[in-house]
Amino acid sequence: MTSLAQLFFDAAALGGIYAMAALGIALIFGVMNLVNFAHGEYIAFCVFALIVPSTDAAAVMFLGKAPALLLIPLILTIGALVAMASEYVVFRHMRKASPVAMMISSFALGFIIQNALLAVYGGRPKAISLWPELNTPIDIAGASVPLLQLIVILTTLAVVTGLAALLRKTRIGLEMRAAAENFTMARLLGVRANVVITGAFALSGALAAAVALIMVTQTGVADVRMGGHIMLVAFIATVIGGLGSLPGAVAAGFLIGAASVLLQAFLPLDARPFRDAFLYTLVIVSLLVRPQGLFVPNSAKPRV
Amino acid sequence: MSKLGVFDLSVRYGKVPALNDVSLTVSEGERVFISGPNGAGKSSLLGAICGSVATSHGRIEMDGALLTGRTPESIARLGLSMVPEGRDIFGSLTVQENLCVGTGLRRDLDAVQSDIEEIYEAFPILGDRRHASAGALSGGQQQMLAIGRALMTNPKLMMVDEPSLGLAPKVVDQVYDTLIGLQEERGLTLLIVEQSSLRAARVGGRMILMRGGAVVGGGDAADFADREALTEAYFGKPETEAAQ
Repeated sequence: MTSLAQLFFDAAALGGIYAMAALGIALIFGVMNLVNFAHGEYIAFCVFALIVPSTDAAAVMFLGKAPALLLIPLILTIGALVAMASEYVVFRHMRKASPVAMMISSFALGFIIQNALLAVYGGRPKAISLWPELNTPIDIAGASVPLLQLIVILTTLAVVTGLAALLRKTRIGLEMRAAAENFTMARLLGVRANVVITGAFALSGALAAAVALIMVTQTGVADVRMGGHIMLVAFIATVIGGLGSLPGAVAAGFLIGAASVLLQAFLPLDARPFRDAFLYTLVIVSLLVRPQGLFVPNSAKPRV
Repeated sequence: MSKLGVFDLSVRYGKVPALNDVSLTVSEGERVFISGPNGAGKSSLLGAICGSVATSHGRIEMDGALLTGRTPESIARLGLSMVPEGRDIFGSLTVQENLCVGTGLRRDLDAVQSDIEEIYEAFPILGDRRHASAGALSGGQQQMLAIGRALMTNPKLMMVDEPSLGLAPKVVDQVYDTLIGLQEERGLTLLIVEQSSLRAARVGGRMILMRGGAVVGGGDAADFADREALTEAYFGKPETEAAQ
């Protein structure tokens, strides 16, 4: 039987990854009503940036050889650049399009990135060993916790508080919050739409890169399809959290992570292979009870 | 030279025309009211001037610079500020944050803090609640915040869409007193959409009457206080109506 402490760390680490991915989606939805389904492919792109481009089965480290202090900012920058480039090439021309048209374009963009990765790296999943020492377990409160889990939890906390500080204390943060609530009004006050949207994409891409580093360290695999599942969970988290609400996205990300770990631990053995069916049943129940989301932003209840 | 010039401006939403060949000018420091029934095109006109509504024909100039085709943010940066109908306060931001949104375009950043204090002097209730969420303000307080927020961009021309909408008459008096005071103090040019021509007559200024997407009359606001002139503007002269 796993200890409660063990469950707590598992839930917090998984939830942290979901929360960071959900934040990346919610940030962009907030400023331009776009659900960016290419977000999962940003994650895969960042993972493949670590290795030498080749279709060989064995992965050879490329950027991944760099020391962590250099590698982390490098990959975060790559994530930000990919996201900014996709805004510049695709979404900038769709500002006046309907949210559905933008969403479908994001699917298309995702497939393009995925196929480009397929063409360059091949379709077979590759084993990558990035920072294997982080998977050594350490003992905390009777639980045996891989160092990486601790790092994930601390990283999530740092990212969330850092992002909150950025949004609360800086000029661009103020403009992003104003634009998220009422873009036209913000522009009428001189807020530059391009700056705010590019900024949101850069942050979102950097978050995707952070998730990529964590996932590849944890699983040791690079797969062109690796972004699909986490994108789906992160999207669900932003919906359950209340679309457009950043705190909601974080909270719902943790909630889904926790529910997933708890179901895995406490479902009867026979039912465990079908864990996701139970998880998504909970999602449906949550949406039936609170279709507007569990954590609705203040702006959703205007005062007349 | 006129502050603002609108020449043969047309706006349509799909196939529905909202403005047809509207022309008007506003002089530096002038106070101009636009009045007319619902659907006259008043808000479309303001929207076209500030860049939030696309125009289909004609041009708009401010201080000789062409506004048509520019983005709302670049028009704001030329010194035009807007208090929209319904105020559009950022409800999830604090009162002070609302005031700060529009200061990003300014060069004189040292003056921003003293300008904020000036707004709080003009509207003490905003100062008392500076760190409160703006969404929790009453309608009248939100109107004051919207005016203060527009002023923080340091505009030369300010447009106010229906400042009295949904406010108690006493609050409307206060809003207008403040607007006039600010105008005299700063030499602002004001363009105000006001449904009540009686109110416009009392405040004083020039009146432009609109109906059916066109300018149908105008003159000293004081002349439009009586019922007949108004009825004529709203419903047209009986013979022109028959001619249609």
